[in-house]
Amino acid sequence: MRTRKIISIIILLILAGGFILTFSQIPFGKDKINVAHYYISKGIEETGAVNIVTSVVLNYRGFDTLGEVTVLFIAAIGLGAVLFTEKRVQKHASKSKDDKTKKASLILRTGSNLLFPLILLFGAYIFVHGHLTPGGGFQGGAVIASGFLLMYLAFPKQSINKKSLSVVESLSGLIFVGIGLFGLIFSGYFLSNFLPKGIPNTLFSAGIIPIIYIAVGFKVGFELTSVIDDLLGRGK
Amino acid sequence: MVNPSLLIGLPLAFAFSIPLFGLISKKIEKYIPIIALFINMVISFMLIPQILKKPIVVSIGGWSPPFCINLVVGPLGILLATLISGIGFLVSIYAVSYIKEEPTEKYHILFLLLMVGAIGIVLTGDIFNLFVFFEILCISSYALVAYYKDKEGTEAAMKYLIQGSVGSSFILIGVALLYGFFGTLNMADIASRITSANPTYLFITLAFLITGFGIEAAIFPLNAWLPDAHSSAPSSISAILSGIAIKTGVYGVARMVYTIFNANSILLFIAFLGLLTLLIGEMCAFRQDDIKRLLAYSSIGQIGLIIFALGIATSLGVFASLFQIVSHALAKALLFLAAGYMIYRVGSKSIASLNGLGKKMPLTSFAFTIGSFSLIGLPPFAGFVSKLSIVYAAMQVKKPVFLAFIAIALIATIIEAGYFFKIVQNLYFKEGKNLDKITESSGYILIPIAILAILIIVIGVHPQFITGLLKASARELLERAGYIGWVLGGT
Amino acid sequence: MSLIYNWMYYIASGGLILIGMYIILVKTNLIKIIIGLNFIDTGVNILLVCIGYVKGRTAPIFSTSRINPTNVVDPVPQALVLTAIVIGVAVLALALSIAIKVYEHNKTLNVTKIRGLKW
Repeated sequence: MRTRKIISIIILLILAGGFILTFSQIPFGKDKINVAHYYISKGIEETGAVNIVTSVVLNYRGFDTLGEVTVLFIAAIGLGAVLFTEKRVQKHASKSKDDKTKKASLILRTGSNLLFPLILLFGAYIFVHGHLTPGGGFQGGAVIASGFLLMYLAFPKQSINKKSLSVVESLSGLIFVGIGLFGLIFSGYFLSNFLPKGIPNTLFSAGIIPIIYIAVGFKVGFELTSVIDDLLGRGK
Repeated sequence: MVNPSLLIGLPLAFAFSIPLFGLISKKIEKYIPIIALFINMVISFMLIPQILKKPIVVSIGGWSPPFCINLVVGPLGILLATLISGIGFLVSIYAVSYIKEEPTEKYHILFLLLMVGAIGIVLTGDIFNLFVFFEILCISSYALVAYYKDKEGTEAAMKYLIQGSVGSSFILIGVALLYGFFGTLNMADIASRITSANPTYLFITLAFLITGFGIEAAIFPLNAWLPDAHSSAPSSISAILSGIAIKTGVYGVARMVYTIFNANSILLFIAFLGLLTLLIGEMCAFRQDDIKRLLAYSSIGQIGLIIFALGIATSLGVFASLFQIVSHALAKALLFLAAGYMIYRVGSKSIASLNGLGKKMPLTSFAFTIGSFSLIGLPPFAGFVSKLSIVYAAMQVKKPVFLAFIAIALIATIIEAGYFFKIVQNLYFKEGKNLDKITESSGYILIPIAILAILIIVIGVHPQFITGLLKASARELLERAGYIGWVLGGT
Repeated sequence: MSLIYNWMYYIASGGLILIGMYIILVKTNLIKIIIGLNFIDTGVNILLVCIGYVKGRTAPIFSTSRINPTNVVDPVPQALVLTAIVIGVAVLALALSIAIKVYEHNKTLNVTKIRGLKW
């Protein structure tokens, strides 16, 4: 144990030395923008989104986001695969659990009934307005999943229909890839922004960005919900 | 012209649609990876002649590089993409009857996404995108290693996950440092400006990136996860991990060292590391009595040989290294697939339990023999040509160090021959116990095994089928000005 | 003062990465190791954000006319951090699920007591 500590402290010292030598070369707070100048100056005109981060995430670097959505999909599927249990065993386990789990308190139940639709609405607002205000599909999806988590806490016995969750997940993933392939057909580039850009700073603008963000919002929200569901030990 | 972005887009679409097909019928899902990877293989074969004439650079989203992500499909990219989709296609045929444990639907999704990750890594021209695809590959393989949910599998997956995600964090630190200095993420753009940074900064950044990719490539001393993960995964996944996943780590190291950093000064160190990995892998393999662990350690040894040849850094050396990548991918996939089914029939992973299988499963055992002879480097198999060219390349350098190196590498090969001959001898000449009920493998198992064995012999007898592509790929790695020119235009 | 100002965020990010590495190398509880992985992720994300920061500028969202292109920070690192956070969440979720299975098989989370394979 002791030698392990000494070795690890030596490794950490080497790492720390590396950090000091490299960080001192990157001046903090100075303007070092290079490629991003293009995004800042041309972004609104070329993508129609006033939120430049969104236009970078979904247009200039849209391929990363496709990968990112895929990573989350893998996590949800992988979680399902690792925690998969046969149905028969599952029923037995849940029966014994039922005796132990108490009902949630009245305040929690009433409060979450009241809050749940509002949370969903807020999540939807965040991902629909991703190209106008801070936020977007991932943030909105996380908010939606938190609403579902609240419902799980308030009503531990009820569970969501996993099949519909997985259908929404795959459909929204397909929409994202499909838009990419449509871009390839219409303008020759995968994931290109082939729809009309509209007037910037209005809801119906920025071409494919809102559509993708709505799909991403649904996908992330339902994926995180199914992750919560799996981790609660409900299985299929 | 076929757009190379289809190579990534189509399998991704198929992977997303597997749950929908699962609603229609439970029987369709296992054929989807076969269809997707077959289409991929056909597309990549169609692209090869075009790319040999002129590499294709496609932008994603329609802006010119460096302002958007672009795929750079050079000879090296298409070589590895063809290899990945070809082996993936064969392994997915194998999986049709091999994978029976539920939830099979999730297995097929994860498998297809693993292939997407590997293809993305070798085709992308953007360093952050490389990281994202690397994560796709890693995360799906963590989940697949734990697929059987048994004691060993979950433990190995945990170990792999911890080391792998430290590695990917290191890659991300390296990417952040590169962006902090150069303000761009396009690999060609970074490569063209690399001289403007100071050497210490570059060295530390490169160290982060090589450590990160080295964990996936299992270069000594970062190889602790590999034997466990490769031996406790389902055999089809072991074949993919050994045949393809670790090669993407090697690709990452090669791309960083040659194209981006142009770091000629550390090449000797890399050759030395490779040699160390080779020796340690082969010596550990010699002591194993579990067949899958033995194959996993032998993979470490072979990766060491590949890295060693990369470190030679002459055009012949890089050519030999790429040839070794191809021949090892074919042979190791074959060995894992054949051994996997023998284990399935016998019910035990120990080498002693395979005694006498040569009479009961003649075709599978014969294929296993071909694979192991190719790994040792016997003619007329593919491994012979690749090992011979590595030796030849090292002799040509005319530095005394390399002569010593090649002597050590030959000793390692002798060790390798020792344990493989022992297994093959046991297969054929020892009497086994309780073998009465064992029969030959079924069609879905034999087809991929047979195709791999035939490929090994064909490439061994007629290496000229692939040498053109391999030479062009070696040129792509060594002439970085050419790579920068393809992407940014001009030279 | 300016020294602290210039180094504060770098120290935070480097410190988080080092703490995470220390946890992974020394601690034996599996959950703690997973928390260590998350420390590293957070540290790298902070590093990315401070690389993109420019003193005195605002977020690159042109929703009002008061913001002009010379007055915003670098948008690319923020996009990268968004991706990196999601990847971190994915790894974390998968790690926890595998840890659940490891616990079911071994009835312990102490990695030195899990003897099936060498650690």
